[in-house]
Amino acid sequence: MLTYVVRRLLYGVLTFFGITIAIFVLVHSVPGDPLSFYIGSHGMGSLSHAALDEIRHEHHLDLPIVQQYGWWLRGIVTLDFGTSFIDHRPVTGLIAEKLPNTFILNLVAFLVAALLGVPIGLWSATRSGRTSERASGVAFFLLYSLPSFWVALLLMDLFSVRFHVLPLFGMTSDNYLDLGLTSKLADRALHLILPVVTLAYAQMAIYARFSKSALTEVIRQDFITTARAKGATSAAVLWHHALRNALIPLITLLGLTLPYLVSGSVIVEEIFQWDGIGRLYFDAISQRDYPTVLALSVATAVATLLASLLADVLYAVADPRIRLEGK
Amino acid sequence: MWRITWRRFCRSKLALVALVYVGVVALVALSAPFLAASKSSPIPFGPNEIDVANRLHPPDTQHRLGTDELGRDVLARMIHGARVSLTVGLIATAMSALVGSFLGALAGFYGGAADWIVSRLIEIVLCFPFLFLVLAIVAFFGPSIWTIMLALAITNWTSEARYVRGEVMRLREMEFAHAARASGARDYRIIFRHLLPNALAPVLVSASFGVAYAIVTESALSFLGLGVPLPTATWGSILSSAKEFVEYAWWLIVFPGLAIFMTVAAFNIIGDRFRDALDPRSD
Repeated sequence: MLTYVVRRLLYGVLTFFGITIAIFVLVHSVPGDPLSFYIGSHGMGSLSHAALDEIRHEHHLDLPIVQQYGWWLRGIVTLDFGTSFIDHRPVTGLIAEKLPNTFILNLVAFLVAALLGVPIGLWSATRSGRTSERASGVAFFLLYSLPSFWVALLLMDLFSVRFHVLPLFGMTSDNYLDLGLTSKLADRALHLILPVVTLAYAQMAIYARFSKSALTEVIRQDFITTARAKGATSAAVLWHHALRNALIPLITLLGLTLPYLVSGSVIVEEIFQWDGIGRLYFDAISQRDYPTVLALSVATAVATLLASLLADVLYAVADPRIRLEGK
Repeated sequence: MWRITWRRFCRSKLALVALVYVGVVALVALSAPFLAASKSSPIPFGPNEIDVANRLHPPDTQHRLGTDELGRDVLARMIHGARVSLTVGLIATAMSALVGSFLGALAGFYGGAADWIVSRLIEIVLCFPFLFLVLAIVAFFGPSIWTIMLALAITNWTSEARYVRGEVMRLREMEFAHAARASGARDYRIIFRHLLPNALAPVLVSASFGVAYAIVTESALSFLGLGVPLPTATWGSILSSAKEFVEYAWWLIVFPGLAIFMTVAAFNIIGDRFRDALDPRSD
């Protein structure tokens, strides 16, 4: 167990360097002077050569490429991502400010998707071969294939424009500050509904498919046949023997879900004008705010790495075949 | 083997419908310059024919699917948009399948250091939210159909690589591979001539999902305004202009969205049923 975790962590450190090198190489292969990443293209035109050289020296851009990478890496480790071109604030503070909004949105969407998707998937696995199983399989696929930006537009058209029951976009109403506490909460909840649905439906389909195939896989195994042969009722076999084993693979989804969620956030936050990380990233991309783009890329990739490490460790704890390896 | 798989694939009516649908879309895309170009074509409008007097015109007998904010015929734009979607979907997937198969084959065949490097590379790519990477590449290197396809290929080769790696690992220990080696075949000949053709089926399954991914992501990019540059008609860019007219023009939302959805669903269904048809346990 310990060797497994240590090996996994070492790989994680290597992957961290890989991630930073990948981003560094990507940025340095962009046409143009890398100096423009630090002062923006308008700064390039308006400053004198001497001033440019000074800034270049300040940001270590006059050093060999390997040393530049070292300085850049140092900034990452100390959480110093520089200042945003757009509002000239430290990027770290900017991210810290937007992160809670994205977190709430994704947490609610994740809970909705998991609490609906997993039971539906498990249920459909027990109906193997019947029409309802086939139909639900097709339904998962269709749901998963729906483009989220289209669903968002349809939902807005239906619930906001035609029936006026839900707000079109934003996180709060214009009169939010004048509301009482309960109305404030209600207002926030109403603004959450459409973005959450847009984020959750495809995830729900994924969880349903995943848990369905996990349970189907377990049901085929010998120890289930043994349990049946012993005379255990099918409910007991399902609850006691099959389910616990089927839920273990769901842990791996933990590591896989994060980048998927963040990608989804870009589209959903942009459409619903939700003031979170995804929108921050998209705005930074559109306005070539390189410090923000770099910071968010590194931060999300490292967060994903940590999530997948956590998933692997949890998996090892849950699965005795890994936990007891080497004993 | 292919004949059995095909027969099992055909057992699913849904998969056949999806296949026929994809065929029809491909035909429409190929014949777009004849279908919708000028007064004499079956649909008497070009994709970029501006007619401001008829802007945001609802569907009628003349404009079957209505017009957009510049009075352009939505049907004509969608027919031409099919070209972009299919081109991006197929070429991006072909690129990622080639890169993925090559790296996967190296990793699976040689094992050891090659396997280690490729596996770490896959791990790194999977750590990035794909849309972050795609947006960054497209925005930094300038939006064009080529940067989009490149960005999609870079984010999507990992699934092919993993499938091929697993298949090649299994196949290289089989008798025919040993026989090829014993008769003096070189490594590259064993890999490309004997092993890879046998690993083709899972690559095709993965490629089918890959096309779906590429089409929906290209549409998302166009929707976000970072897609194939205007005025080229794409399904996503029609939807993008619909954003501002949610209140007046339902046809701008419904039809292009439906086209994206159905095409993506078709490729996903084909991939899924093909995978089932290859799986001997699925009966």
